[in-house]
Amino acid sequence: MIMAWRRAAIVGVGATRQGRLPDETPLSLAAQAFSLALEDSGIDKSEVDGLLSQPGTTSVEGSKNYLNLGELLGVNPRFTGSMTLGGATGGALVQIAAMAISTGMASVVACIFADTARSGGSRFGAAAGGEESWGLWGMYSNAANSAMGFRRHMALYGSTSEQLGWIAVTCRAHASMNPNATMRDPITLADHQNSRLIVDPLRLLDCCLISDGAVAVIVASPERAKDCRAKPTYIWGMGQGHTLENLRCRDWWYLPHQRACVAAAYRMARVSPREIDVAQLYDNFTVAVLFWLEHAGFCEQGEAGPYVQGGDRIRLGGSGIPINTAGGNLSESYMQGWLHIVEGVRQIRGECGPRQVKDAELCLVTGRGMTLNTASCLILGH
Amino acid sequence: MQKIVASSIRPAITEINRGFWEGCVQGKLLIQRCARCQYLRYPPSMVCPRCLATQYSWYQVSGRGTVFSFVIFHRSYHPDWESRIPYNVCLIELEEGPMMLSNVLGVDNSALAVGMAVTVAFQRIADDLTIPVFEPCGARLPQEPGAT
Repeated sequence: MIMAWRRAAIVGVGATRQGRLPDETPLSLAAQAFSLALEDSGIDKSEVDGLLSQPGTTSVEGSKNYLNLGELLGVNPRFTGSMTLGGATGGALVQIAAMAISTGMASVVACIFADTARSGGSRFGAAAGGEESWGLWGMYSNAANSAMGFRRHMALYGSTSEQLGWIAVTCRAHASMNPNATMRDPITLADHQNSRLIVDPLRLLDCCLISDGAVAVIVASPERAKDCRAKPTYIWGMGQGHTLENLRCRDWWYLPHQRACVAAAYRMARVSPREIDVAQLYDNFTVAVLFWLEHAGFCEQGEAGPYVQGGDRIRLGGSGIPINTAGGNLSESYMQGWLHIVEGVRQIRGECGPRQVKDAELCLVTGRGMTLNTASCLILGH
Repeated sequence: MQKIVASSIRPAITEINRGFWEGCVQGKLLIQRCARCQYLRYPPSMVCPRCLATQYSWYQVSGRGTVFSFVIFHRSYHPDWESRIPYNVCLIELEEGPMMLSNVLGVDNSALAVGMAVTVAFQRIADDLTIPVFEPCGARLPQEPGAT
């Protein structure tokens, strides 16, 4: 295989306990995740010269989050900042870290996300639309945006709620093999179909969890990566794409920028979808997985419904591309995609035990966020 | 069938969107048209997102469109909408191009369909607020070709 970009590597990942953690705060969780990631990397804190973060939904300081983290962790970096692209942020920050490293502006960058959305009562039901609040017509919640896209997909391509059910069932089956997952009890297609409608065509079991927890990812130069505790996970390719105009784009509902985002990463990595062994696809709702399968080229446009039918082509040990091997936002924990990066690294390292994809050499990790606006992706490999 | 009831939700009226909301009171669906490149833009905005010109006029569109997609809310995210569950929100593609979020009234949610032809109607929901909603074509007016 051609060695692609590979100018930075993920050398440490840390994830705290996940779920409902009422005794924790975003900062207490961030400190735990950072310590775990440092320990995982074998790098001393004094070497960390870059600090990037995504403020959690309960971090009221917003884009000043890096200040609080630096003071808390005793880090005075050469390179820092906080960013909010919703569920695309984790991937985007790893990209920024990689770019900072490749230009020599930093050598070891810690990327951190911490949130107490569950205990802090965060809601994801706001109306978009600014002065012309979509609330005038009752259009609230992230669920509704994704539901709107899925209804159009159903009408154009004949996809069904049952097909989404197979995504939920498969992700839960994967979570059952992950001791750190919040939801480990298997579900059936009937459980999905009997779960209550939230915003039709989406049901309760189409929606992700709301979770407390934190994740840290340490990115380092290829030189520094050589002496780390674990084998380096190189960043082969990176991509982003965004549709910021919402209603003014006729195909906003289909998120065409996601296809551009993954295509950019494939180009940088010099690989095609066929060479991807495992994929961690951002799943704020089951339908997100359906769209990613098309955008990432695992199937043709409009064919993701039949592709996921029965689950065989998306499950571990199945006949297609195993997705969300740790359970994803739907069943592991809702860390806005940061755990997708952690699982990507662990799959490449071969640390996943019963849920390990055999001989996994390349993992695609995607993220998306806001009102179907933002997307980022990473291709991770040896 | 969905009905509009009194609502406490108000748009923030600004110099930029006042024309749109005053049009609704007069029963007209007015869309900003760029004075330089003629691009029709919705929702109202300060500059043309195609050419960045700030001058515009208000253009009355036909009010005809189709249901591009739709969802049915089974849970409430705001107290004003609680009594209306289950209610629809539709993405309407206007004949002239712009896309609008709105509600389609006068039809059972089970009869809604992507591609359904609709036409604008105006619902006065408070002294200071009339909002554009849509109805299936023919719900009120005959659509005979050439009818006067």
